[in-house]
Amino acid sequence: VSGVPGLKEDCEELLGAFLQADTVRFERFAELWRERRFHTVFYGRMRALQRNKLTKKTLDLAQQYFLPPYSFQIRVGALYLLYGLFNAQLCQPKQKIRIALKDWPEVQKFQQDLLDSEHYDAAYILRRMRLARAFHFTAMPKLLTYRTKKKIEENHFKEEFRDPCSRVNDLISNDVLEELMNIHDHYQKMKCVISADKSQPDKSLSLIKDDFVVNLKDITLEHQEWQQNRVKLLQSVKETDNTENKKKEETLLKSEGSERASALARIKYRSYSAAVEVSKSRRHRQVQLESSESGPSCGKSPSRSKKASRRPQPLELRRRGEMQVAKEITTQHIGMPIITEEDSDE
Amino acid sequence: SIDMLMPSEKEEDPDVIPEDSSLLTLQIRKKALERREETIIVDRACRQETLTYEMESHAAGRRPDNTTDLIEEGELLLTLNIFYPVIFQKHKDQKPYQTVLLLGSQKLTELRDSISCVSDLQIGGEFSSQPDQAPEHISKDLYKSAFFYFEGIFYNDRRYPECRDLSRTIIEWSESHDRGYENLQSVKMEDYVFNDLAIKIGFPYLYCHQGDCEHIIIITDIRLIHNDDCLDRNLYPLLVKKHWLCTRKCFVCKMYTARYAT
Repeated sequence: VSGVPGLKEDCEELLGAFLQADTVRFERFAELWRERRFHTVFYGRMRALQRNKLTKKTLDLAQQYFLPPYSFQIRVGALYLLYGLFNAQLCQPKQKIRIALKDWPEVQKFQQDLLDSEHYDAAYILRRMRLARAFHFTAMPKLLTYRTKKKIEENHFKEEFRDPCSRVNDLISNDVLEELMNIHDHYQKMKCVISADKSQPDKSLSLIKDDFVVNLKDITLEHQEWQQNRVKLLQSVKETDNTENKKKEETLLKSEGSERASALARIKYRSYSAAVEVSKSRRHRQVQLESSESGPSCGKSPSRSKKASRRPQPLELRRRGEMQVAKEITTQHIGMPIITEEDSDE
Repeated sequence: SIDMLMPSEKEEDPDVIPEDSSLLTLQIRKKALERREETIIVDRACRQETLTYEMESHAAGRRPDNTTDLIEEGELLLTLNIFYPVIFQKHKDQKPYQTVLLLGSQKLTELRDSISCVSDLQIGGEFSSQPDQAPEHISKDLYKSAFFYFEGIFYNDRRYPECRDLSRTIIEWSESHDRGYENLQSVKMEDYVFNDLAIKIGFPYLYCHQGDCEHIIIITDIRLIHNDDCLDRNLYPLLVKKHWLCTRKCFVCKMYTARYAT
């Protein structure tokens, strides 16, 4: 139904501290755990039914951090967290951790990675959990509940926990580049073979840029470097204590990416909020825009407020709406100049 | 090489929330508990809560007396929600349902037998002159036909000769005009086990019996059987959650639930 209040913050705090510690050793995690006395998270006087539900929700929340797209360190931290929560729970018989069928190969791959990189403590923990039968192997990750939710809560997990978005890299990976190179060479050779001069392709056959593969590689490298610089810059900005400068720099960074996005939003907003006037013969059926304002008494109008009248909008309201729209967008993504991510605008 | 570094060594009472906790969860929970203590005079489990808890956990960990009834590894466990057929306004947000656990290797007929619906207990006829007479037959014995509808196929109960193919009407209707439903088929229920079906989780399916009593069935979960589950095959299909019916006590004897309300 609803999540456990405060649990997400606590877990993120613990995982964040683990991330900061920049290690994957279990001892370090155990220290952090003991510092916070995390095993007390199940305390509190409650009867068995409520305790079962609470534990289930806790394990479910922690399990989400265990799977991709989170970064490797976060996943190891989540593994330790699951181990700790599973063993610290007070339910008898113990509540289990749900792993979906589709996620299981990734977990196995994760285990293989751990063994390959010689993080034997993490691999041992995973094995211990499997031996203790801590997992339920299910078809779907979330257990369905049938109550109409008033609003669909979206889990916005911290962006820093994710690996930097490597979609460009996924698309243009090394293998793809190699293949492209091969095909390109092959193509050039074919052109040479069929043209008169055996050493060079005919001028009439030059339809593509010869160095296109090399250019592609350079562009992807550039993009990767830009991304890494961005992340570093943001992190260093967040760490400095100077709040004023921080805000300015942050907005600078963010506005770089979202200028275009906010311009688009502005245009859309303008076009959708002007209502067309219908001819006078249909006066009783004039088009009216929905207004989310409840009159002058409400202090701050909610974002995307539209005016319920047919006249063109007064300048102040539009600007206010714009600013809120822009603010809404800036807080949603770190921003990339050309490629917009799926979860930003729409 | 790694021990359990987690729990603290000294004896702690898990009911008491520590004062100096840095965890936000505990702070919120403490406030809620304090508020509860102020407002609630007597804090004990009500009947509904006891029922829910007991139903969920009564079969956990059970082992059969007979080892042939033991469920093997690799068996699938399905969780089905069977909704009540009534349509009331107050059910708009939350329709009452029963939850049944099933094994993948069980036949559809076993599920059919385990669904208890009040329309099965109905008796037809005029009985106002002898209201307390035990009925000779209930509808369940008279009208034995039923069908399940999963993914475009109707599974009809054909075990007894009285059972009719209720889905024939529907199939004829859909074939009469081009209504956009592709081939609906009709097969026998007793030939199929749940492992043979291709089903979607969360998608509503239908169980129809008595000709017009329709229940929606939704499968909420499929998972592998676990050591801590009930491993006695005879107990499945297992009812784990039943909707609490509001009943009123009889005003005359003040002991039993009322039978007739005037």
